[in-house]
Amino acid sequence: MSANRWLATGNYFTTYREEQRIFFTHIDRLLFVCFLAALFAWPFFFEVSSKYMLIFDNILVAVIAVLGLNLVTGFGGLISVGHAAFVGVGAYTVACLARIIGDQHVVITHAWPLMVLAGGLTGAVFGLIVGLPALRLRHLYLLMATLSFQMIFQWVVGFMDFFNQGQFIYVGRVYWFSGEVGRSVHYQFWYFALLVTVVVLGFGVRNLLRTKYGRSLVAVRDNDRAADAMGMHPGFTKVSAFGLAGFFAGVAGAMQAYLNRGAGFETFTLHESIQYLAMTIVGGLGSLPGTFFGPAAIKMLDLQMENLAEWAGHILPSTMDLATGLRPLSFGLVIVLFLMFEPRGIANWWRILRSYVKLWPFRY
Amino acid sequence: MSYFLQLFFSGIVVGSIYALAAIGFVLIYKSSRVLNLAHGQIIATGAYIMYVLTVWIGIPIYLSFVMSMIITFFLAMSVERIFLRRLIGEPIISVIMVTIGLMSIIDGLIYLTPFGSENFSFPPFLPTEPIMLWGTYLSYTQVVGVGITIVLIGAFSWFFKKSTVGISMRAVSDDQMASMSIGISVPKVFGLAWATAGLTAAAAGGILGNITGLNFDTLHAFGILVFPVVILGGLDSLPGAVAAGIIMGLIQQFAGGYLDGNWGLNGTGQVLPYILLLVLLLFKPHGLFGTHEIERV
Repeated sequence: MSANRWLATGNYFTTYREEQRIFFTHIDRLLFVCFLAALFAWPFFFEVSSKYMLIFDNILVAVIAVLGLNLVTGFGGLISVGHAAFVGVGAYTVACLARIIGDQHVVITHAWPLMVLAGGLTGAVFGLIVGLPALRLRHLYLLMATLSFQMIFQWVVGFMDFFNQGQFIYVGRVYWFSGEVGRSVHYQFWYFALLVTVVVLGFGVRNLLRTKYGRSLVAVRDNDRAADAMGMHPGFTKVSAFGLAGFFAGVAGAMQAYLNRGAGFETFTLHESIQYLAMTIVGGLGSLPGTFFGPAAIKMLDLQMENLAEWAGHILPSTMDLATGLRPLSFGLVIVLFLMFEPRGIANWWRILRSYVKLWPFRY
Repeated sequence: MSYFLQLFFSGIVVGSIYALAAIGFVLIYKSSRVLNLAHGQIIATGAYIMYVLTVWIGIPIYLSFVMSMIITFFLAMSVERIFLRRLIGEPIISVIMVTIGLMSIIDGLIYLTPFGSENFSFPPFLPTEPIMLWGTYLSYTQVVGVGITIVLIGAFSWFFKKSTVGISMRAVSDDQMASMSIGISVPKVFGLAWATAGLTAAAAGGILGNITGLNFDTLHAFGILVFPVVILGGLDSLPGAVAAGIIMGLIQQFAGGYLDGNWGLNGTGQVLPYILLLVLLLFKPHGLFGTHEIERV
């Protein structure tokens, strides 16, 4: 047993409790706290234009959504191709309430944390409903259930008057203790709000995975019959994984609705669902650090593709619409290449780097 | 009554194309247990290849129909060879996610061509005046399309029942280990399953393109509708796929005919199959003709 809690060059676990700690050494914890502090502090030191702040905000929204998708797909082993629809459920919870009671109503503008929670709960309810077939079936069939939910969602939003037939529904600006959050600080404000949410939910997931439920979820993924024999309920575990994923997606959606100041149809299509799946795969299925790398990598790729399309737009005839084609093309390629050559995603590179630093100067 | 018959006939027409499209999907699932999510995109590719051959190159339409089927045959085979062959032995979940990636790739490629944004239609090659049948109107294209579909479905049934290749495909779908031990090359059968699926997909795409015109959104929606059809048919049953295709076509047409415009509903034909799919998954997940040995949790 290594007595030095600050530095360890190997694993010295003597109890299971020790192995399940979040931070193995004090240096781990210190570095993490410094990293978090840096994330909170940097907007005060650098002037960032709203355009770039929006990119950070979008990454954080995607991180929240992917946390949920990774629970279902990574830790639960169930493919979901309807995640954008669950995000949409959260966004439309806020947007429809704003449409009914007016987008400047005090509930929308002042009680926005409650609205975000409400979005999450609505998402959870829909997740539970869509996950119900999991009580009887294995993962292949759940793919179909999520796909049909995606299509039903698109139809409901696109054809119902209640949802403005997919047109943009406005949501008012929110209020903070210092008054209304104006245009100039809108994206900065939501950066902090999203960052706090990400940290809270990230710790939530990390702790959830250490509990009985989290471990039975992984057990059901690895072998559901063995898990059943050990006394877990595979169906219930999977259904609640869908509920949790719906909750995360709903929170992401509600915050996205506030961030974009409304909800429109085109951010919740099947292509967006595939984009969320790409984030999960690129980050690393069944890895918590992966949920942060994946969205960042995919959003950066998205940005580069937009730049490329813009650059190519000067050369190519204007009839060619590169942007709409390049995005699905690049996401699809990224999914296929990662699954073929690095199925454990960017998180695996992170793991290799960590173990290299930890064991240095030794090789193993 | 004639309105009912009209809907009935167009339901049969649409349904038989669904059946043809679903056969390819079922084939891949039967032989390799992979849900091919890119199937709709292969259908669209087949339709566009046929259009290019017919209109841009100027080959007679029947010949180009056959040629598009052959080209898609080899395209699908190479897709299997490049992307899926090296994933044999990987968990099935990552193979399915590769097909999701493929779906996105083919979507992107089609969006890069003019087909992604514009509408095209095949030049009329049959008499354009409609056929009267018990007070309903049918176009020649629809009748010929259904005829070709029935012939193709018959040919495939014969192929699976009688031919050596078809029998070895069924053997692989029953038991991979046993069929390997009697000398069937399982990877080759996988490749053939994909290729045959490409063939039927191109046929479905070509017929659909002739009846409705080429619009990528329509073809895309059509491709996704194959999934409710195969679940209704039972995922691994070819007769089930045919029956379910026709049932789904009828459901869509009747929903569109009788529900749309009433009670503020619109486009119900697009959503009803998915609602049916969710209900089916809850209460009868093995579909109409599927094997009951589906692994329960």
